[in-house]
Amino acid sequence: MRSGRIVADRVWKRFRADRRRTLLRDELERLRTQWNGEHRGWTWALRDVSFTAEPGDSIGIVGRNGSGKTTLLRLLAGVMYPYAGRVQLAGKLGTLINMSAGLHPDLTGQENIYIQGSLIGLKRKEIARRFDEIVGFAELEDAIRRQVKFYSTGMQLRLGFATAAFLDPDILLVDEVLAAGDAAFQQKCLERTRDKVMAGTTFIFVSHDLQSVEGMCREGMWLRDGVIAAAGPVRDAVAKYRDWVESYEAHYREKLRRVGEARIVKLDVTGPNGNGCRTEEPVEIRAIVESPEGREGTLFVGVSEGPSRPIFVLHHELSLHNGHIEARCRIPHLPLPRGRFYVWVGIFGKNGQDLLPWQPATEFDVSGPDLHPTPQGIVRLSPIQMTTAWDVGSR
Amino acid sequence: MSVIESIPDSPPPELRFRRRISVLESVRDLWQAREFIFALFERSLRARYKQAFLGFAWAIIPPLIFMVVLSVFVQHAVTIPTGGVPYPLFSYVALVPWNFFSSAVAAGGTSIVTSLDVMNKMYVPREVFPISTIMSNGVDALISVVGLGILFVVYAFVPKPTTVWVPLLFVIQIIFTLGIVFILSALVVYLRDLRYAMSLIIQVGLFATPILYGMDQVPPHLRLIYCLVNPLAPVIDGYRRVVIFGLNPEWSLLLPAAAMSVTYLVLGFRIFKRLETGFSDIA
Repeated sequence: MRSGRIVADRVWKRFRADRRRTLLRDELERLRTQWNGEHRGWTWALRDVSFTAEPGDSIGIVGRNGSGKTTLLRLLAGVMYPYAGRVQLAGKLGTLINMSAGLHPDLTGQENIYIQGSLIGLKRKEIARRFDEIVGFAELEDAIRRQVKFYSTGMQLRLGFATAAFLDPDILLVDEVLAAGDAAFQQKCLERTRDKVMAGTTFIFVSHDLQSVEGMCREGMWLRDGVIAAAGPVRDAVAKYRDWVESYEAHYREKLRRVGEARIVKLDVTGPNGNGCRTEEPVEIRAIVESPEGREGTLFVGVSEGPSRPIFVLHHELSLHNGHIEARCRIPHLPLPRGRFYVWVGIFGKNGQDLLPWQPATEFDVSGPDLHPTPQGIVRLSPIQMTTAWDVGSR
Repeated sequence: MSVIESIPDSPPPELRFRRRISVLESVRDLWQAREFIFALFERSLRARYKQAFLGFAWAIIPPLIFMVVLSVFVQHAVTIPTGGVPYPLFSYVALVPWNFFSSAVAAGGTSIVTSLDVMNKMYVPREVFPISTIMSNGVDALISVVGLGILFVVYAFVPKPTTVWVPLLFVIQIIFTLGIVFILSALVVYLRDLRYAMSLIIQVGLFATPILYGMDQVPPHLRLIYCLVNPLAPVIDGYRRVVIFGLNPEWSLLLPAAAMSVTYLVLGFRIFKRLETGFSDIA
């Protein structure tokens, strides 16, 4: 049985607010200001963070940049110490932080594997037994005797993940890294991680890729300004985070409204009979476009979960003329689950020039069933909802 | 929202994290990291001797050049009593250990700063970096002993039997070096400009240690204080006494200096461990 346990008990961590040079004369200057009774600034990176993880738990940590995710991971890895509170880990630790694969750039891949193994307390023989597996997984057969500093980013990532995940850790800490690998390797990593978690490894995953977090972890934790703003089942925690990001970014999206030759006068999304939108029911998107003069172009309408990368895009040729024209698009069966979605629009000329730059136009809510869940370790690309009719029986 | 607002501005004082520093645990940690120490050690040796043009010669050249300079210029300007021993031999025997000390301090002092990146990836005991640096500089010192052998041949000199004391002197030197390097390497993280002060300290040390001259040049009533302030003095002079003059070490000076060296090591280790807690916060 695995023994990977994590206890973080009311952890606080702070950094100097003045990200300063560390020179003697700066230090003297600081002493002087302190002498004069001025307070030297600290910012809190983590405040009162508590959680526990038991063998087989998988926790995904989400949050904006600078919300303390990596700091928390570093504290867990034992690289940093908290200012207050307690961090306790039991079990062998595998870490992959900052996609810095391998421990030391001057050492070869092979040396790094052995050293990392010996540092987590494995005997040479035990490492040797796993060595081929690691090298095979990382696809580094030709490069393993080369210094890590000569590796490409992808090679470093592969070595780092393979070493962290194959040295049989009880706890696996992974930070933001998988996004850097190619799709095939990502899938391999996800599968490997899932196997490990099934076998009882405790898994902590930090990422901005919410879909990966939802796919990989059973529990989620949202860090906001160093505080746990939500924790619980991964979909709930991530959904709360997503909602917050959306409301937070609403005003930012306003700023994204850029001007082009054409202008969107009105854009709305309506369900059947002018009511709200429902999953699998018809929807109509209506756009009124104003143009100063006659132009040929294509209208693109994208629906996204917030960011400019859409879930799907619709398009239609458009002959603009001076004045308003109206474009209506009917979608007979809306393939979206319950949630809030955003409509982005853009109009582009024949040669690709912006008549109306790609920009958010409006948002709409969909009511209906929750998205079908995915098995753990499987990351979905887009939240497309299908209505299904199942027929299961013995024959 | 309410979750966040209910959290106080700073943690209650009783929650403050105090790191318990246990020597035993640190040593156990270091033992577990031995493979890493050796890999770093091997890597720096290989880098130095494989890629550098003159290879192993680089270990011998610095003390050799110094010896020549001293023999040609200093010895002609002021006559330094050597007890009848040729000056090149007299100075080289002290230059080899001095060179070990100065290069270990120079490289070891910056060993943490240059490895901060590595330390942020995964937990390794931080002492690993200064220690492996000292080890690879130690190898340099051993190689430069070859130069001493050549001098023995040139001057048809046979090392005296009291040379058996050399390992003891070496151990004291290592203890002192470790202490100094622990202190410096940790301080340099916080005070980067200390790096420049370091080479100054080393230069002063060259003259504040009996390298160009013998201990007999120091007035007798000041010798004990001299050796307490600079525990390396009786060690370096000791090498000369045991190898060249066939005398036992001057115990009345060496033992206090050894005690001082141990004090430095204990102090250095404590300072290092205390400051180490914040290394990652600065990187």
